[in-house]
This record gives sequence, structure tokens and C-alpha cells, in this order.
Amino acid sequence: MSKFNQAIYEIQNLDTISKEDKWVNHIHPLIKLFLTVYYIGLVVSFQKYDLEGLCGMCIYPIFVFIIGELSWKEAIYRLRIVLPLVCIVGILNPFFDTNSIAEIGGIAISGGVVSMVTLMIKGIFCILAGYLLIATTSIEEICYGLRKIHIPKIMVTQILLIYRYIFLLLWETKRITQAYALRAPGQKGIHIKAWGPLVGQLLLRSMDRAQEVYESMCIRGFQGEFFIRKRNEKVKGEFIYFIAFLIILLICRIYPIFEVIGGFFL
Amino acid sequence: MSHIHIDVENLIYAYEKDHQVLKDISFFAEEHDAIGVVGANGAGKSTLLKLLVGLDLNFKGSIRVEEIPLEKETLGKIRERMGYVFQDSEAQLFMTTVEEDVAFAPRNYGLSEGEVEKRVTYALEKVHIEHLRKKPIYKMSGGEKKLASIATILSMTPDIILMDEPSVALDPKNRRNLINILNEFDHLKIIASHDLDFIMDTCNRVILLDGGEIVESGSTDEILKNEELLEMHGLELPLSLYRK
Repeated sequence: MSKFNQAIYEIQNLDTISKEDKWVNHIHPLIKLFLTVYYIGLVVSFQKYDLEGLCGMCIYPIFVFIIGELSWKEAIYRLRIVLPLVCIVGILNPFFDTNSIAEIGGIAISGGVVSMVTLMIKGIFCILAGYLLIATTSIEEICYGLRKIHIPKIMVTQILLIYRYIFLLLWETKRITQAYALRAPGQKGIHIKAWGPLVGQLLLRSMDRAQEVYESMCIRGFQGEFFIRKRNEKVKGEFIYFIAFLIILLICRIYPIFEVIGGFFL
Repeated sequence: MSHIHIDVENLIYAYEKDHQVLKDISFFAEEHDAIGVVGANGAGKSTLLKLLVGLDLNFKGSIRVEEIPLEKETLGKIRERMGYVFQDSEAQLFMTTVEEDVAFAPRNYGLSEGEVEKRVTYALEKVHIEHLRKKPIYKMSGGEKKLASIATILSMTPDIILMDEPSVALDPKNRRNLINILNEFDHLKIIASHDLDFIMDTCNRVILLDGGEIVESGSTDEILKNEELLEMHGLELPLSLYRK
């Protein structure tokens, strides 16, 4: 599968997953949106050496992965480009902060190493929280949630349109690169001399497609705002889920949960 | 009570100053008419349809839909009564699922969710694709996409349906299915196509365009069986007539 096909497939697949008929998919988008922001806020608020406290925050992604029946493997595969970047953050910490703050099996662990790992885990948790939100909530529902909290309609419409146009851009890129590949057998990639005309073509074609889509929207009464399906259904247990996670995550933030649990066994 | 009609008078349109794409077009279409707009490539068929639905208002002459002149102020009111099906279904369908796409217009017109639901069901039933309701657009075949495109405009309950090259990219079975569905509609239909067999099966009147002008208009039989006329304007007799 070509890179563009792969990209299109992955976005479409994520879109399909977000619309699945599972309990977590039906929870009000505002609850999921708020919990995600709350979770990220709590995660980033940990001190740089508070690794054991931070580890307790793994409870939220683990729970959502389980109830959403989501695949860890797929998540890691989808986030394969972002995760290494997150891991690079703080990579220099061990060189600047060399004070030893702990010892494992006689090996001194410097503050820099702990803060580097803490930063990495913070990044991973935040990205996973974002992924879990979009894997369980469709873009329309996320935008519906944003409108509910009075985010200006122009911003919400922009988010929706950008999402739509990403597909158009990818499709056009795929078509152009396929047409090129068919007339350049045996050539790996696109020759640098062809980049200019191809990018020009891509821009013009994408604009044409975008214009057609816009015309199609106008003909069907679009006047600057996307009207998203109003939710009438109340999902059983969604409020309990919301309150429970507000409390659980707060407890995990205040108390190093693994240390407390470990204390029972010592 | 007035009945639905379109009155086009002396319509002139040019993309560039010196190059007129449509020259002095006049015709009248009334309720239950099914008009085929035929002509060779570049004759101005698609442009004419786009003007009728108000996608460009920089034309000379007049377009009136049920006595309402087509202009910026009346655009919303007129578009509520007209459905336009694009040649390329990919351009028409931009939401993620069929249901969302079909519901797009009723939601824009401020209908309640209950009414939106009813309209969606009605539109999908009309084109016999209720089973595709939840299907993601990208997983659909060309024929399914065409029917879904039609459903997106039927949910507006239009009085007039405009279609640009509806039979393009359809296999024979889907093409026949589309013809049957169109023949079930009693809307005022204007169909632009160079698939003359399709026009023969769906339209009772034909407007023949060449170089942006109406060179002939009349009943479908009268025009599409006139080999000399068709060849003079870059077309050929419908294939079904050759077989006979």
C-alpha cells in the first residue's frame, strides 16, 4: 500500500472506530472532552521528580482502552511518529541534572534521568488521552461538544472543514502520485524536477475540489455554520463515569497510588 | 394556486469578457417536465445547470423560479426548492456517513431532529438505499454514491431536480436502477447529459445546445431520432436506435 493510501486508510479507519456502537462511544462528547482536558491538566501538573505519583495516572488510559475495546498495538502503531518526538523531550536532562536522588540495586539514579522519564511519560499520557478522545468520539461530536461550551462557531466550523479537506488533499495527492508513478516505471519516489509542477497541480486540483464541495454545501443551505446532530439520548451511567473519574484522577494526583497500594503488602 | 416552473429568458453568460459560454438562452419548464439538456462536450450544459441553481450570479438575462427572480436576495428561497446533483458524487458527499450527508440540508434549514430523521428516512427509501444509512461514504461503490447524492437533495423535498451527467461512471445495472428511480419522481427534472440513451429513457423534452446556443428544442423523439440534426451538432443517434 502506498504511503498516501496508508494515510487515507488510517484516518478513515480511526473515523470508523470513533463511530462504533460501544458504550464509551455513546457517552456525551462534553464529558469525554472535559475528562481529557482535566486528565491532561492533572498529568502536566506533576513535579519533575514525581515519577511514582505520575505512574498512577495510567489508570485512565488503561480503563478507556478496556471499555472501548481498543487495541494497544494499533494505538502505538498510529502514534509511531509522535511518540519518538515526545521521548526526545528532556533527553538532555541527564546531562544537566547529575545529582543522585535514588538508588536501584546499588546504581545511583540522577535527577536528570528521573525528570527525563517523567517528561516522557507525561507526553505519552497526554498523547494517549488525545488519541482515546478521537478514537471514541467522532469529529462531529467533538465539535458539538465544543459548541456546547460556546467555542465560537467560526472556529468549530474551521475544525470540521479542515478535517474534511484533509481527505480531499490526500486523495488528490494520491491521484497525482499514482499518475506520475505509472509514467515513471522503476523510479523510486518523485524526481526533484517534477516537484514544482506536481505541487502546483496539487494546489489547483485541491482548490477545484474544495470549491465543488463548498458549492455542494451552499446548495444545501449552508450559511457558515455546521449544524451537528443534537443529542437527545442519555447514556446509562455516563454521569457516574464522569464523577467517578473526576474523583479517581484527583485521588491519583494527590496520593501516589502505587506507593499506597504497595504499603499494604509491606 | 401557482405551480412550479422555471422561466429562463435571454440568458447570457461569459467566463471571460470576449468568450460567451451561453448565448441568449430562453426556455420555459413546468411542473412534471423532464427536460434533457444535450450537446457535445463544451456546449454549455453544466454551466447552464450551475446558473439555474445560482452557483454564479454574474449572468445577463433572467432566470425566474415560480415568478421569483434568481438573485442574491432570493437565493436561499430558490435553493430550498431546487436540488442539484453534481456530476462527481465525491464532490457532493462530504460528510462521513450517508445518514449525516443526507441530514445536512434539513439541519441547515433549521428542522427539528425528529423532522430531520423523517426526511432522511424518506430520502433513503425513495432511492432504495435504506440499508446504506450508516455506511461510511468512502466504503461505497460509484453506483451507491450516485444514489446517495440524489438522496442528499431529496431530503430537501425539492420541487425541481437538476442533474449533471448522472449516468457517468455507472455500470449497466446501476444505470438502469437510476433510470427507474428517476422515472418514479414526478418533480420537474432537468438532466444535462451526452448519454442520449439515458435522456431517451428519462426525459420527455430535449434542449439541444451547441456552442452555448439552443439550436433545437422539442420532444425527445423529435430531436433524438433526427440523425442529421444530431450529427450536425457533434452527437450521434442513441445506441438503442441503432439496434432497432
